[in-house]
Amino acid sequence: MSGNEKIMLKIDNAVKTFFKGLPQEHTVLNNLSLELKEGDFVSVVGSNGAGKSTLFNAICGTFFLDGGAVLLDGKDITYQPDFRRAKWIGRVFQDPMKGTAPNLTIEENLALAYSRIKKHALAPAISSKEIKLFRERLATMEMGLEDRMKTKVGLLSGGQRQVVTLMMCTLNTPKLLLLDEHTAALDPQTSEKIMEITNRIVKENNLTTMMITHNLNAALTTGNRTIMMDEGNIILDIHEEERKGMSLEDLLNMYSQKSNRVFDNDRILLQKK
Amino acid sequence: MTIILGTAQLGFIYGLLALGIYISFRVLNIPDLTAEGSFTFGLAVSSVLATAGHPWIGLLAAVAAGCLAGIVTGLFQIKCHIHPVLAGILTMSGLYSVNMFVMGERANITLIGIDTVFTDVASLIPSVDKNIVKLIIAIVLTLIGTVLAVMFFRTHLGLCIRAAGDNETMVRSSSINVDYVKVIALAVSNAFIALCGGVIAQYQNFADINSGVGILVVGLASVIIGEVILGKKSVTIGLVSAVTGSIIYRIIIALATTYTPLSAYMLKLVSALIVAIALSVPAIKQTILLQKTKKGGV
Repeated sequence: MSGNEKIMLKIDNAVKTFFKGLPQEHTVLNNLSLELKEGDFVSVVGSNGAGKSTLFNAICGTFFLDGGAVLLDGKDITYQPDFRRAKWIGRVFQDPMKGTAPNLTIEENLALAYSRIKKHALAPAISSKEIKLFRERLATMEMGLEDRMKTKVGLLSGGQRQVVTLMMCTLNTPKLLLLDEHTAALDPQTSEKIMEITNRIVKENNLTTMMITHNLNAALTTGNRTIMMDEGNIILDIHEEERKGMSLEDLLNMYSQKSNRVFDNDRILLQKK
Repeated sequence: MTIILGTAQLGFIYGLLALGIYISFRVLNIPDLTAEGSFTFGLAVSSVLATAGHPWIGLLAAVAAGCLAGIVTGLFQIKCHIHPVLAGILTMSGLYSVNMFVMGERANITLIGIDTVFTDVASLIPSVDKNIVKLIIAIVLTLIGTVLAVMFFRTHLGLCIRAAGDNETMVRSSSINVDYVKVIALAVSNAFIALCGGVIAQYQNFADINSGVGILVVGLASVIIGEVILGKKSVTIGLVSAVTGSIIYRIIIALATTYTPLSAYMLKLVSALIVAIALSVPAIKQTILLQKTKKGGV
């Protein structure tokens, strides 16, 4: 398929140093380059402080790079303000509080996210057409949220809030979906359910996705590609075919070889379900 | 009877102030001190234009003046990254000079014998008692203000403002320019506050450069009293309760000055105490709960 060959995200020699010129100077992205094809679903793993979240922040424009470039669907967004590029990038954080406004209702939160498509400032905040659409979409999540559209999001559980956030990010199909350990704060059962929903949404919309995870097993089985980061760079990039026969031990061994260290993420999950 | 009418008139007029304070304090989550300056700004502009024979244009100009003051505070916040409270203080402080200039370097202007919106309407319906006319104008102005505010918060922009006060990260990730949203909110908030000042000037036939002192606390007291009575379930209820709170606040003040030995100058202290006590209720509740838990019975 020729469509599969489109480069959706290209990061070219990204450099970012925090506290430049100070004793605590710290290079968090070290000439990192990465290309994602349209429809790629990449799991990102790495030890503490490897630069995983920093990479996401760089893509989202939380800060600007000191050097290098970020291209989204061929467009240079290196110095575009965060809220502009958010039009095409959906991001779900680990903290369920971050993605939603607690004092707004579910439908208000969704309406706000949906307004990424240009909406007139004085147009009604929510139209009945939108409510219908939101209800239908929520119903597919099978969490009963479609009957609680007027509930304030602050009253929902963490899992329910993550589902709402996930929906907010994908109501308008984004060019890139970033999942920053989005199931880490949830209990195992909810976590599994959210992963199920994630996989379905990504598949249905052929979303280009990056997912940070500390579950190495999930990293090897989710999506079509796994990358491992260390000290602000990518040290392993394993594609579909190569990944197939790989065990957790293989992955950890490869990490030790590349970085001369033992994998030391204190929250890492090694167990198979 | 005069006291009741006067209280109702003030209650409704200051309802406009309560709407403005509600928007900055409850929706945007910022105690915006610009209010003290913009209230007097509206008052100054309105009285000067009324003196020049344009009382109605005076009210419109007061609205514009308030918008301007809010925009300045907003720009301090978002462009200069000044702390929201300090940004308000800077605008308030600077506005003192501006207001003095607008009032022609006089500390006060009297409007006695000059056409105001109140005398204007009263002359149209000479058969109705002047105090009743004043009340009707106060009610109509505040009603229009409330309806417009309620409608505004039902628009997309209104929703953005509410979300910006609730979770900024989420608004940014929804590809909305939070900075722009905040400036608009501050402009709208201060427009209401300045309009209130403009109406007050023409209502009391008097404008004083120090009218704005303590006005933020008056507004906060109204908002908080309203919330105690009507709750804060939605923005619509919040806006209505702010106006209701303003009326009740005036009743409390009237009762206090009529039936207690409190002098009028004590009112600012009373208002400040009302706000301080109301805001400390959650902390007090927590302490009581902790004491109960310690004793072993909940």
